[in-house]
Amino acid sequence: MTAERAYRSDWRDHAMDGGLVLWYAAAVIFLFAPIIAAIVYSFNLGVVNKQTAVLTGWTLQWYPAAWHDLSLRRAVSASLVVSFWSALISIVMGTLLGYAIVRHPSPKVRRFLAGFTYMLLIVPESVIGVSLLLFFAVTRFPLNTATLVAGITPMAIAVVALVIRARVLTLDREVEDAAADLGSTRIATLWLVILPQLAPAVAVGGVMAYTFSFDNLVVSAFLTTARINTLPVYLYGSLQYGPSPAVYAAAAAVFLFTMLLLAIAVLVYWGTRRRATA
Amino acid sequence: MTRILRSTARSLTRRSVLGLLGAAPAAAALTSVGLRASRAKAATGQLNIYSWPDYFSTADLEAYAKKTGVTPNISTYDSDDTMFAKVNSPAGAGFDIVIPGSSWIKQLAAKGLLEEIDHGKLDLASLDPHLLNRDYDPGNKYSIPKDWGLLGVIYNPEAVGGEIKTWEDFFKAGEKPGVSGKIRMSDSGWETIGPELWLQGKDWNAVGEAEIRKAAERLKAFAKHVKSFSGLDANALANGSIVLAQTNQAKARAAIGLNPKLKWVVPGPWSELWVDNYVLIKDAPNLEQAYDFLAFQLRPEIQLAETEYIGFPAALNGLRDKLGADVKDADLIFGGKDVDFSKLTSFVVNPETVGFYSQLQTEIQAAAG
Amino acid sequence: MKPAVGRSAAGRFNLRHASAAQTADHFLAGIPTLWLAIFFLAPLGFTVVFSFGRSTFGGVALDFTFANYATALSGFYGAAFLRTLVFAATASGLCLLVAFPAAYFIARHTSRFRLLAITLILIPYFSSFLIRVMALTMLMSREGFLEMILNALHLHQGPLDLLDTQTAVFVGIVYAYLPIAVVPLVVVLDRIPKGLTEASRDLGATRWETFLLVTLPLSRPGIASAIMLTAVPMLGEMVIPKLLGGSRGVLMGQALSSQYLQAQNYPLGSAMAVLVLLGVAVIVGLLAWVTKGFAEVGR
Repeated sequence: MTAERAYRSDWRDHAMDGGLVLWYAAAVIFLFAPIIAAIVYSFNLGVVNKQTAVLTGWTLQWYPAAWHDLSLRRAVSASLVVSFWSALISIVMGTLLGYAIVRHPSPKVRRFLAGFTYMLLIVPESVIGVSLLLFFAVTRFPLNTATLVAGITPMAIAVVALVIRARVLTLDREVEDAAADLGSTRIATLWLVILPQLAPAVAVGGVMAYTFSFDNLVVSAFLTTARINTLPVYLYGSLQYGPSPAVYAAAAAVFLFTMLLLAIAVLVYWGTRRRATA
Repeated sequence: MTRILRSTARSLTRRSVLGLLGAAPAAAALTSVGLRASRAKAATGQLNIYSWPDYFSTADLEAYAKKTGVTPNISTYDSDDTMFAKVNSPAGAGFDIVIPGSSWIKQLAAKGLLEEIDHGKLDLASLDPHLLNRDYDPGNKYSIPKDWGLLGVIYNPEAVGGEIKTWEDFFKAGEKPGVSGKIRMSDSGWETIGPELWLQGKDWNAVGEAEIRKAAERLKAFAKHVKSFSGLDANALANGSIVLAQTNQAKARAAIGLNPKLKWVVPGPWSELWVDNYVLIKDAPNLEQAYDFLAFQLRPEIQLAETEYIGFPAALNGLRDKLGADVKDADLIFGGKDVDFSKLTSFVVNPETVGFYSQLQTEIQAAAG
Repeated sequence: MKPAVGRSAAGRFNLRHASAAQTADHFLAGIPTLWLAIFFLAPLGFTVVFSFGRSTFGGVALDFTFANYATALSGFYGAAFLRTLVFAATASGLCLLVAFPAAYFIARHTSRFRLLAITLILIPYFSSFLIRVMALTMLMSREGFLEMILNALHLHQGPLDLLDTQTAVFVGIVYAYLPIAVVPLVVVLDRIPKGLTEASRDLGATRWETFLLVTLPLSRPGIASAIMLTAVPMLGEMVIPKLLGGSRGVLMGQALSSQYLQAQNYPLGSAMAVLVLLGVAVIVGLLAWVTKGFAEVGR
């Protein structure tokens, strides 16, 4: 195809390409800088047990300190558990919703679902938080991990739904119709034809749902209980009196741990792919 | 629609909304049975605390765990008002001890959320009498002081060009070039409007809407000089991006530790003393454990260790002398050498006026941006 | 032309599967709807009910009064709402400006490394957002890393007073919402066939003309998605203006939250929330109507 172009790439094209590469690289550096800084600052000595912007000394003490701070440790593990479940639920619900927004036969239903999804993002989180609190009060539902997860899911579902919607719009309808012609039920078509094509979108949506749930602050602040506290709630509270470098150590440890898990997952995925194509 | 009847003194959100379902008495009985039953089933050997993050020395918590086998489970909040909203709702069920600021104790008690403290079980004699029996909780019926702080001013004397002794000096200094635009004030309505009320000779717990609004006018005019109402960062003071700030003495101590040229003062004619307290929640599931923990926390050596850990002074009497000589700037932990407790007042949240303080704080912040 | 349920493009009608397919459709759409109805709509219903009540300082006395709406519509809050709209629109625009070239690069210039390119952008998000914002404040503070770099590059002289300014807030917002803007843009830019842009160049259009007249219009749905995903949540943004902006100026998120928390006035907060919801729904509806429901171009 390229051999048949009528125009020639000139220096301006190459400059543009170079510019795009630089822009992308700058964006990546911009995004990575704070997390790298946070890791560096987790080794900072600080002053009177509080973090400082100026590096006052190097120490490893904050990592054991973070481990011994039971409240912090529990908040981290609770965050991981809650965001895992929230991501799982959101992936399932969000995929179904995103698919339905595009493929539901009735245009009225499609419009309703689309509007509903956007509404999930419009409502301010403090409103959602208070309403959920009062809702669980009236329904006398005991507050626990499940209610916390449930409270976070609506917004995560909306994010996943929109990502899936964007992807479903690009799918070829004729393939699904062919499957229907060949006698496949709706659900079988979904599972065997559509889902594999959606896989990358589901993965991206899942990642976004996970990060959204892990970082959720406002709704979580209302729904945490005596027995479960999350990391963002802990961190936000520490801003009042000033955080110690221990929270940076905790965040760095969690990040590296998550990266490790991701790396293992990717390696396993590549391994199975290679075996499948071998 | 009629006002929903309250069947008990419990919080409205729990009960009255049940009344909405037209089942007030029955539901009330059910809830009280349900909630209490689930609380009685709570395992012994637990203790649930609701507090600021990192507000207990980890070494002390470990010592307590080793001694009793119980590790306190600490949930955290990011502001006193979030704390109140949670405790006043079913999300507050399950907490044994909460650490509210002094301003909210009266309202917590008014909503029937607090358990009266059995003074027979705890010895408060070792505590500083200045911190006991204060306006916000006469007789310490509901609260035991944990640690305390002052609202003061930290400033760079070179930039400000002089000393600050009163809140008038603070406002005047703020208008100077070189200081304007580098000021930090509090994000709480009463701490920003309070100084002007004090200068007018008024008591911030006794004023009405009109007086609060009038005082806020000055703050709205002053707001253009303010850089930030958010949490103060000691680094900002150290590197000069903030040269004049309202803050507490522990932050000041951290800033002076980074930049010894800074000065701290508790301005006249009045300023604020706030106290963070232990309170017991009504129908706490682990009440006995809570008393045991409090008795442990009140031990002099524990109070000493906590002070060194969190940087705020515990309520122990004579704490200053007990501090080790190696503690840097030890006087600053107590707000300096000559703090006059008779010129300190604690804010008590009053439902009639707190809405105005909060609304005006929003307007003052809007005027700054 | 959308084939009806059970009918293929060739026109054959699968009677046996029509109703089963319909049930399946309703079932599949119903699951998330039910979940959301319970955990989102029902609580919101309470908010609407409470907005007509009277505050009992931490509780609500059920009543039917419009007093809360009157207060919420007062000049001050109206101005705050408008200011928030302007803020969200500007911040969202900025975010898109930064995201677009990056998304263009990923969509058009990477093929083998596509997944890696997107992953690189998403990796930082696996760490706690608050910690990263706190680190961002340290990087942007005086005598911080950014000041060092800018001074070294001679782009700036002397101390950097970036914190607690509107600029810092925009930097933080772009930082926070960048991947959310990049992803839909990548999806849509990926779909534009390379042949189209090449044809445009062949016909003599400059790179810039091709971009403005071919690429940009075709990426409208992605841009619309990106705007929705960024601008709308930005309306409720509270944390970044507080941490990076010194809480100056007032945005809806903070005004609402202070009603619920500091003033313990649930009815007023609820009324404000309902108004915000209505206002935003109207604006989004208008946008959807103007852009024809974010419909795909050429479908």
